[in-house]
This record gives sequence, structure tokens and C-alpha cells, in this order.
Amino acid sequence: MKNKEFALFGGAPAFAKPLPVGQLYFPSWDRYEAAMRDIFKRRYYTNQGPLVQQLEERLQDYLGVKHAVCVTNATIGLMMAAEALELSGKVVVPSFTFIASALSLSWTGIEPVFCDVDPLTHQIAIDKLDPLIDEHVTGIMGVNLWGGACDVAALEKYAHTRDIEIYFDSAHAFGCEINNSKIGNFGSVEVFSFHATKILSATEGGCLCTNDELIAARLRNIRSSYGSGETIPVAKTSNGRMSEAQATIALISLDDFPQNQQKNEELFRKYEKRLKDIRGIKLVKPAGVTFSNYQSVVCEVDEAIFGASRDNLLAVLKAENVNARRYFYPGIHRSIGYRNGMNKIGCYLPVTDYLCSSCIQLPIGAMVDCNAVDVICDIVDRTQLSADILKSYFKKSC
Amino acid sequence: MKLKIRNWNNLQMKLNRKITINDLAYLGGKRLFAKPKSTSNLVQPDFNKFLRYSKEFYNLRYYTNNGVLVKMLESRLAEFHDADFCVSFCSGFWALVLTITSLALKGKSEIIMPSLTYRRMADIAAWARLIPRFSEVDPTTLAQNRQTVNECINNETALILAVHPIVNCCDIEGIVSLGEENSIPVLFDSVESVYETASTGKIGKFGDAECFSMHASKLLNGFEGGYVTTNNAELAHQLSLLRTFGFEGQDNCVVPGGLNAKLNEIHAAMALANLDEMDQQIVNNQQRYRQYQSAFSGMIGIRLIEFDEHFDTSYKNIVVELLDDWPIGRDETVAILNSENILARAYYSPPLHQKSMSYSHIPASLKITDYLAKRFMLLPCGEFVKCNDIDEIVQLIIFIYSNGDQIKNHLKEMKR
Repeated sequence: MKNKEFALFGGAPAFAKPLPVGQLYFPSWDRYEAAMRDIFKRRYYTNQGPLVQQLEERLQDYLGVKHAVCVTNATIGLMMAAEALELSGKVVVPSFTFIASALSLSWTGIEPVFCDVDPLTHQIAIDKLDPLIDEHVTGIMGVNLWGGACDVAALEKYAHTRDIEIYFDSAHAFGCEINNSKIGNFGSVEVFSFHATKILSATEGGCLCTNDELIAARLRNIRSSYGSGETIPVAKTSNGRMSEAQATIALISLDDFPQNQQKNEELFRKYEKRLKDIRGIKLVKPAGVTFSNYQSVVCEVDEAIFGASRDNLLAVLKAENVNARRYFYPGIHRSIGYRNGMNKIGCYLPVTDYLCSSCIQLPIGAMVDCNAVDVICDIVDRTQLSADILKSYFKKSC
Repeated sequence: MKLKIRNWNNLQMKLNRKITINDLAYLGGKRLFAKPKSTSNLVQPDFNKFLRYSKEFYNLRYYTNNGVLVKMLESRLAEFHDADFCVSFCSGFWALVLTITSLALKGKSEIIMPSLTYRRMADIAAWARLIPRFSEVDPTTLAQNRQTVNECINNETALILAVHPIVNCCDIEGIVSLGEENSIPVLFDSVESVYETASTGKIGKFGDAECFSMHASKLLNGFEGGYVTTNNAELAHQLSLLRTFGFEGQDNCVVPGGLNAKLNEIHAAMALANLDEMDQQIVNNQQRYRQYQSAFSGMIGIRLIEFDEHFDTSYKNIVVELLDDWPIGRDETVAILNSENILARAYYSPPLHQKSMSYSHIPASLKITDYLAKRFMLLPCGEFVKCNDIDEIVQLIIFIYSNGDQIKNHLKEMKR
């Protein structure tokens, strides 16, 4: 492997088929067939069916939260959260997050105000909040990234002293813990994603968690719940329902969570060991949690030390059939629909800009084993060693 | 000692037949049906067919994000509806919202929609940041026509949302030409008209776009889901971007205003398997419809809305009108039927303009809609309803009619 020619230069790719970043855990065919047979036998397909109810109960138990409200996906979940919290005006959100965080605000008529993040943890920078808060700000959306978490206690305190809402986009954070409290118990609401790329998968799906009775009741009314819970007035309803098919996949995925988390952790440790000696590569470790799902492998590529740019490395990996990603790219404050506000005070986000130009996400999850990690790390290593040759190659091809 | 009885259900039903009004479950008698008979379709395809489709995404280990089955379903549905393009969504609700935001004329604030329609329709307008202006309907079709829509057009009209009624179609030609004359886009909500054909062709290719649902209660069961058909390539492209956060490719966001409204592969597998068996379903629906038709023929006090059989139709939904000499109110009738486990439902009641709304809307006085909203109800249909169930349902309706005065007095007493 070590002496192999880069696929970029005509060598055989390291992987026969493209290797996605993850997580893509899915039940075996036998379990899939049995689960679907069960639904077909019961002939109950959607509308808060028995499996969705069971999933909500199991999530409540697992997370130790009063209410888990399952939804068709996390973006619609975030939109429902903003509605249920009756937010208006502006909400502060990090720009270094998936674009759905900001889209959910735009869909509910709220202007996102972008905040920078901490250069070490990549989580929202609490010390950058002050200049962004004005009388129009009604809430803060914290985003728990990379299997880590924001400083939730400090954020809760910050929001409460200013009498504004605090809630969390915890799309990446299912199963993570802070001192024996599971993520899902913080702020007014937390929103998890059960997309196929997450550790808990419903193919598409998500869940909103809250310990507040009124917010839970509003969420169930906004989602449409067919008799589950009392009817209370909400500004507008939607269809946020999870089907029985989605719920059964999520239930299996929840059963498998311990072994999937363990596999992720082993792979992560392997990456950690292999990448630590590669100059210019910094693996981001889950921060702010005492237990992580290790569902993301994200590295900063410091071009000055690594020798090649993040995008060069990405091109090398792609040619080898490693579908590594720029993640997140670009910062939301530079994305269509949001970049017009660039001249505003909140849009000087140097850390976000640096991370967006230097971060790379590598594969972890169902499709990856320790050998694959070795192969991927070899490619990264060789890229660093061949940085000069690659650089001139990319320069020429420009 | 255990008695073996054949046709236990039939016998049970006969035992539950009503002799006096005190036998009505509403008044403490036994329920006619042990299991609910609903107005939801809940059609189920052959399990192995569903598995065969599932195997395709399973082998690719690709579970969502415009997967192989989603693409297959979209191409099959475009063909089915004789339209150039089809874009699928996680639900009909978000399909409507995104199509409305895409089509609405920029800078205009109002959307025209009927009041006698789906209970969440005004909420859909609110998500799309448009103000609903409610139109009247034609009492013979229960749907908008050229004239009722025309009355609502003004300088602020951004879009005409034309909604097909639960049985048959609205005035397609009249509304499309009205839209063209006024340069206002027309979107059809064709959720209840998947299989219908108009004199000018198959539903799915009219106006600027048509929107459908694949909720389990609809003709095409995909667990949950929705889709839009259109002949406009640009719109189809825009919709496929919007349902995926506005992304073209991996991290290239090219349009604002997107969200996640993707259909997953399992739902697509279900819809594909059901689509394969659609024709058989129509045959079954027709049988049920014929049973209702013959049972209701010659009846007084109540009228079955008949399908226009000049062209293809789904025969799915069973809607009746309670006529002037029907002895009790529609809501009371629905309540009596519900307590027998006949899950009849009021037809779009209350109408939207009578509901309180916390968002902007144009208040309306719609006399015809108000009148119609008190007269119609849906009766059980779909896979769980057998022909002898239909006989029992109609028998009960005859019983209510024949004992109308007594029931009426009893209900009065109860109210006191």
C-alpha cells in the first residue's frame, strides 16, 4: 500500500467502491423482513401507530426525558421547535453548522444571527454572543457538533439571565452524555436527527425532546398526532409524522446502539492513533461530553504544515474512492439566502471561515473497518509526504 | 363446551342488528362492528413484491437522498400521469408548501383556495407566507369553478390553488384558462384524484403543477409521502433542489428556501408495490362502490354522490348528502354511526373560513359553502370494507331514517 501510486495519477483506487462518510447502520435482511412482515400483519402504517408510540416511550426511558416526539426528519423537527417556542424576530445560531439549522429559522419567519465558534471545540463561542444580542433576539439555538456538546450549562445560564429561549440542534448528539445526563435534557427543546448518516437511523427521521409539558403538547399538535395528547391551540399545524416503517428501523437501531457506538469508538481510536503523527492534521475530539457516540471523524488540515490544502487532500481521497467531505462548507453566513447580511456585525466569523476552509470529514460507521481506517490514514500520510508533487500537479491542472 | 360456528362475524352482525332505537350503540346498545370500518384506504401490496423492491436499496446500502427507488417511482408516476416530470416528497403537505412557494408570483400576497377543503390547507398557505383568500364552490360539484375563482382574483393574487373534490374533479378547463388569461399560476391539489381522467386527459398534467399524497389513507399507499407532477422542467428542477435543502451536489446550496422533504427508500418501495397493483385496487373499489350504489338506489332522505364514469375514475371515496327530509343533523348522524364503529366523517367541516386563524387571512362570507358543509359525510371505504359490511352500513342508515322521529326526540331529551 505504502508504495502504491495515487489513483489521481492513474493507479488503481484504494477501494473498489465509493466509501461514504457514514454512518449507514441498517438491520440485517432477516431483521428487516421480520419487522416489515409485522407491520404488514398489523396493517397500521402511520398516524402515531403502535411502533411510533413504542419508540417514543423507549426514547423517553433511554434519555431520561419526559417527552420524546418523533418526527419525519430533524429539519421539520427544528421548524416545529421554533413554532412551539413561539420564537420571533431573531435567533442566534452558529454559522458553523448544517444549513438546516438556519433554514428552520427562515421557515418560521425568524432572522438567524450568526455566531462564531470556539477554535478548539468547534462549538458555539459563548464569549462572542454579547454583541449579537439585541431587543429583537428571542432565542439561542445551540448546536451540539461532532458527538460533542456546547457548554450547555453556561448557555442555559446566559439565556436565562437575559430572559431568552435556549434550545439545541442535537442532530449529531444522540446517545451522548454530560456527567450522567443524556443530551436531550437541556434547554427548552432538543432536536435529534435519525437520518441514515446518524448513529440512530430511521432512514429519515428525528425526535424532539423536552421536559416541558406545554411545549410537548404544542409539538404534538403542530406535528399532528391523531389522538395522542390533548388538543391545544397552536399558530399553525404541519405534517411532521413518522411512519411505522421509519419507527421500526429506529427501534432496531436503538437496540443496536451499544454495539454501533462501540464500533465507532474503536474506529475513532484507530484514527486517533494513526493520525496523531501526521503533520498538519488535527483530529477533532468530542468536547464537552463524558460519553460520545463517535459518529463523526472530523480533522482540521493546516495547509501550512500539511503541505497540501484540504481541497487537495479531498481530491486525492475521492480518486481513491474515499468519499470524504468538506463539512461544513461554506459557513452558512456565506451561503445563498444568508450572505446578503455579510456586512452586519455578526458576520465577521474568522474561526468559522478558517474551519470551513480546513475541515475534512472521514468515513466511520457500518461500511468501515479497522483495515479501511489504515488504508485511509495511509493515503492521508502519503498525501502529506507527497505534498509538493501534488501541489504542483494541482497548480498545473488549474 | 365450545360451539363451532361458521361465519361467526355474520352471525354476530345479525345479532347486533337494530330492532328498536335503544339497540343503537349511541344509546347504549351493542356496536354493529367489532372492528372499526374507516374511510381510510389502507391498501396493502403483495408482501413479496414489497420485499423485492426493498432488496434493491438494501443491496446498494442506500436508504434515502434520491435513491434508486425514489427515481424509479418518480419515473413511473410521471408516466402514469402522462406528465413530463414527477418529484417526490416526504408528504403531500410539504409537497404543497414547496410547490406553492415556487410558483407564487413574487411580490403578491394572496393565494386563492376553496374553504370547503382539507383542514390544514390554510396552514399550508401560512407556511408558504401567503394570505388565504377563500373561494366559494359550485354546489353541484362541491368544487371551485371558473366563476368562483374569478370572484377572488385581484392585484394581490399570487397563485390559484384549485382543489379537486373528494369525488370527481373541479372545473379544470375553466380554471386553467382563467389563470392563463390573468397570468396567474394554477396549482391543482389532486390528492383525491390520482386515478381520474378528464375529457382533456389524465389528471397530473394540468395547470402549472399537480400535487398528490401517498399517505396510507390514500389511493397510493406509501406509508407517508407525496409527489408533484408537472410539464415544467425548471419547476421540477427547483422542487428537487428545495426538498434537499437547496443542494445541487454534495455541499453546493444553489437556491434559498429549501428544507428536508425527501422521500425515503422504504416508503418508495411501498408506493411502487402498490402502484403495480393499482388496477386490481380499482376493480375492488368499483365493487364496493356498486354495492353502495345499489343499496342506496331509490332511497329517500339521502343521496350517494355518483362517480362520473365517462372516463377512468378510482371509485374510492364514498360521499353521501343528507337531504332536507333527513330527520337529524349531519353531525348527530356521524356520531351515531361512529358509536357503531362506522367511522363516517363529516365532509370538510367546519369549512376553513369558519375556523379561527392566528395568521393573516381574508375573512369571507360563503353562504353556499356554509350550507354544503352541513350536508355531506364520508362513509367507510377501502380494503377493510367488505361488500356485506356495506349492506350492514346501509341497513343501519335506513334504520336511522325510518326511526328518525324517535331518534330525534331521544336526542332532544339527551340534550336537556
